Amino acid sequence: MKKHRFTGLWLFCFSVWSLGCCLISAAEEVEEDRQYFNEKEVPENLRDLRNIQKALQETLPQARAATVSIDLGGGSGSGVIVSGKGLVLTAAHVSAGVGKEMTVIMEDGTKHKAVSLGLVASTDAAMIQIMEEGVFPYVELDRGDSASLGDWVYALGHSGGFEKERGVGVRIGRLVRMAEQTINSDCNLIGGDSGGPLFNMKGRLIGIHSRVGASLEQNMHVPLREFLKNWDAMLAKEFVGKGPFAQEAVAFLGVSTEDREEGGIVIKEVGDKTPAADAGLQEGDVILMLNGNELDGAEQFSASLKGFKPGQKVKLKILRDDKEKEVEVELGEK
Amino acid sequence: MIKRRKWKLSWVRSRGIPILLSLVVSAASAQQQVGQLEGEFRLNGKETWKAFDPVREVLQESSAVVYDGWKSIAYGVVVSSDGYLVTKASEIEGVEELSVRVNREHFKKVRVVSSTVEWDVALLKVEAQGLPVIEWAEPEPSHGTWVISNGSTTRRDRRLRVGIISANARKVGEGRAPVVLGVTLDTSGEEEGLPVKEVQKDSGASEAGLKSGDVILEMEGRPVRSMEDLQELLGSKEPGDRIQVRLRRDGEDLELEVELKRRESVFEEKKTRNDAMSGRVSKRRSDFPRVLQTDLPLSVRSVGGPLLNLEGHCVGMNIARANRCETYAIPAKELRAIVENLTGDEQAGSAAE
Repeated sequence: MKKHRFTGLWLFCFSVWSLGCCLISAAEEVEEDRQYFNEKEVPENLRDLRNIQKALQETLPQARAATVSIDLGGGSGSGVIVSGKGLVLTAAHVSAGVGKEMTVIMEDGTKHKAVSLGLVASTDAAMIQIMEEGVFPYVELDRGDSASLGDWVYALGHSGGFEKERGVGVRIGRLVRMAEQTINSDCNLIGGDSGGPLFNMKGRLIGIHSRVGASLEQNMHVPLREFLKNWDAMLAKEFVGKGPFAQEAVAFLGVSTEDREEGGIVIKEVGDKTPAADAGLQEGDVILMLNGNELDGAEQFSASLKGFKPGQKVKLKILRDDKEKEVEVELGEK
Repeated sequence: MIKRRKWKLSWVRSRGIPILLSLVVSAASAQQQVGQLEGEFRLNGKETWKAFDPVREVLQESSAVVYDGWKSIAYGVVVSSDGYLVTKASEIEGVEELSVRVNREHFKKVRVVSSTVEWDVALLKVEAQGLPVIEWAEPEPSHGTWVISNGSTTRRDRRLRVGIISANARKVGEGRAPVVLGVTLDTSGEEEGLPVKEVQKDSGASEAGLKSGDVILEMEGRPVRSMEDLQELLGSKEPGDRIQVRLRRDGEDLELEVELKRRESVFEEKKTRNDAMSGRVSKRRSDFPRVLQTDLPLSVRSVGGPLLNLEGHCVGMNIARANRCETYAIPAKELRAIVENLTGDEQAGSAAE
């Protein structure tokens, strides 16, 4: 039995850990015990089942209040508020970028404007911020990373999009697979749940819904530790990692160019309503320098532009009618 | 004493070794175990089901298995000791070799007494005595309440599926009539009737000879000027009812008799992206006046049976597998009224004979 098997290790860990805690700070809150039903291989009787039900139902009202639907115009996902000021955790494939505007919908139908902060493209973690002032209902995080294989958990989300009459959907399950960057549960998920919260039976957030497999038991979540690890970067609106869950916005100027023998590059075409057109660039202009660096080919120029982000300003030295001129352009997003 | 086994962890092969290492490294801080939980210990695994065994006993005695020949097609709820059962009506429609099993007894003679298309419930009768009747639960279960229902069966034993109440009880669908003529209508015009745009294949309308361009003027002698008129008229009808339709074709009035059919047997539902990831769903899964929603992972052939709480009391009857994470049940309160109506019809019928 699991309890026995781990008792020795447990005692050892606990003594080392509690000693450490005492040394570090006496005021540090001692981590609570794990719920007894999570220490059992399976519930053994109706009493165990009732205790699981009780734990879920005690924590559910707050969890529901903090779970939101995220309306992106074309589609929708879910998210969960983790601070009274309206910080929301969701999936990167839901927020789909940095600085994007969206609408957050509470279970009672109240709508709030929100904007996406940073994300981790490689593991599907993201943050968004509600832009309106207010005191929002929020949930506690499982900061101790206590989730273990077999733990009883529940998933919330606005499956298939916001439906006021139905409200948030709750599904029960266990943690059935644990890997470093993904945890699986047998809480059934569907489209629209993406970005929604996975809770332990203390109502603490342990993960965010990411994707499903073909079988009903393959429901994948981003573990909370992935958020904690990248917390500051996401708050600072960084785009962390590369795909597959989000693609970084590419800076965009809006010209087609070709090489020029005498150095620099020639603008062949300026697109309508592009940053280049807004800045007054014209067909035939020669671009000599980008932020003070000489240009010697169209390919090099477009490669250098990729080093910038949408919204950044660049200085171009151009040659028009044999006169040199400085032009500042705010790069757009493709 | 129950024999206790050790955790069964199956290591993920490609990542096994690095994960094992990180487990050792992080053991003191987080007791992080990495691996997989074997099927029998999952939410709907056979080891987990053992704790629900007292409730399974209720399914064994007071639920019914409905068969078409040798194949089980649905479940049912025992509502009287002398053999009245309710099941999902659309699942037994057109079944030729209907039989029912309660506990281990097989009833080969089954009478379909009556049904309601509004709720998609049929009342069945078998010749039995002393069947244990389902006990009704009160009050209605709240979010997160364990629910237990039929999942699969052998000839001897009922097996269960478990889940929880998932969402608010509510009406589902747009309140459309569950039976249709089988036409699409042009409601944009200012004409006195309803012009037919298209006639659905294999519908009552096509069998009666309705054509595109016909203008429906009256049904059962009452003028029909809007979709609302039509829906109101059809709302009280059952599949198989025949209805008089007066229409205008090429300037001439004519009268046809149209058989009404179930909406889902005539109109194909539009498949959404979420349907694509849901596997098979019930043919009729919408337009119910009120349902409980659960996360029970039922197959389309395991609806119709009772939905029980941990006390083994009946909180409802599974009525539709809606998608990957939603199963609907008729709440006990409404189900009791339905049973009363259907059995009341039967008694009124036999009194008149």
